[in-house]
Amino acid sequence: MSGRVIVITSGKGGVGKTTASANIGVALASTGVSVALVDMDIGLRNLDILMGLENRVVYNLVDVVEERCKLRQALVKDKKLPNLSLLPAAQTRDKSAVNAEQMKALCGELKSMYDFVLVDSPAGIEQGFQNAVAGADEAIVITTPEMSAVRDADRIIGLLEARKDEIKEYRLVLNRYRPTMVANNDMMSVDDVLEILSVKLLGVVPEDEDIIISTNKGEPISGTDNIRAGLAYRNIARRIRGEDVAIMDLESKNSTWINKIVSFFNPTVRV
Amino acid sequence: MQMQIFNWLFPAKGDDVRSTAKDRMRSMLTHDRLELPAGRLETLEEELMAVVGRYFELDKDTTHFDLQQYERRASLIANFRLLRSKC
Repeated sequence: MSGRVIVITSGKGGVGKTTASANIGVALASTGVSVALVDMDIGLRNLDILMGLENRVVYNLVDVVEERCKLRQALVKDKKLPNLSLLPAAQTRDKSAVNAEQMKALCGELKSMYDFVLVDSPAGIEQGFQNAVAGADEAIVITTPEMSAVRDADRIIGLLEARKDEIKEYRLVLNRYRPTMVANNDMMSVDDVLEILSVKLLGVVPEDEDIIISTNKGEPISGTDNIRAGLAYRNIARRIRGEDVAIMDLESKNSTWINKIVSFFNPTVRV
Repeated sequence: MQMQIFNWLFPAKGDDVRSTAKDRMRSMLTHDRLELPAGRLETLEEELMAVVGRYFELDKDTTHFDLQQYERRASLIANFRLLRSKC
């Protein structure tokens, strides 16, 4: 088997990288493929919490690299999905504990075992990021529509472009999207961000309080029906698998009667 | 009051936070990608104007000088309106 290694990265911290990794992992695994989630944020381990697996972590990625255990011993199986596993980061070490060569070897081994290997990159553009992208075939860039996040995403895209030979494709996920603010012209739209970054879109995830609730429960939201952010992640997973899924209409559900009147008179205002 | 309602229904383009953000973003990223320090473009504009100005009388009000992005590559667009040549 030769799976696809996809690094999930953003540049800026706090834009929802780890949440996206957990959700895309669950959503992909729910389609039936096998998935390994790799937490590369060494020293700041969090993916285990979002997956609700923090009590099952015995070994970690650094233990594997330093040969204190076998790779299979360090992989933690998901509670609900037997075809989804987590390789946790070390909590007591730092980014220098692993180098790019070791990461490449690890990704190579993982992709012989799984259909998809999702690597959750740490924030920043230094060593931790360089290690996280070292073994990747593709990348997902996460940003929010805020200026600082878009700027950092642009920097990351520049760095990914420089690795064109290894990273064949990168696509954008626009997270924490607020359709009502866009309708009121208080925030950049999906099209604005795509135009500015000149990048392909993988998906748009609306801002959703349920994300916080799901984090607290340790159950990624993409496993839950009837929540729009969850549907957004399931659509992203289907697009990753090559399906042609339309970007969901985020605007219509949020449009109030006042917006409808405005759009009737002025169709150029996106509602 | 009527004007306010009109403006609300038909907002002038470029007069909202969204366009401001987009314009600032575009300019910022153009500078970032080229690693262009602030003010450098203005210096270039002045120097180019001086050079062209040695050969032509220029209509300085309609001179257009800008960096444009197309697929992450920047182009320098300079448009000098010439009035007559200097001999």
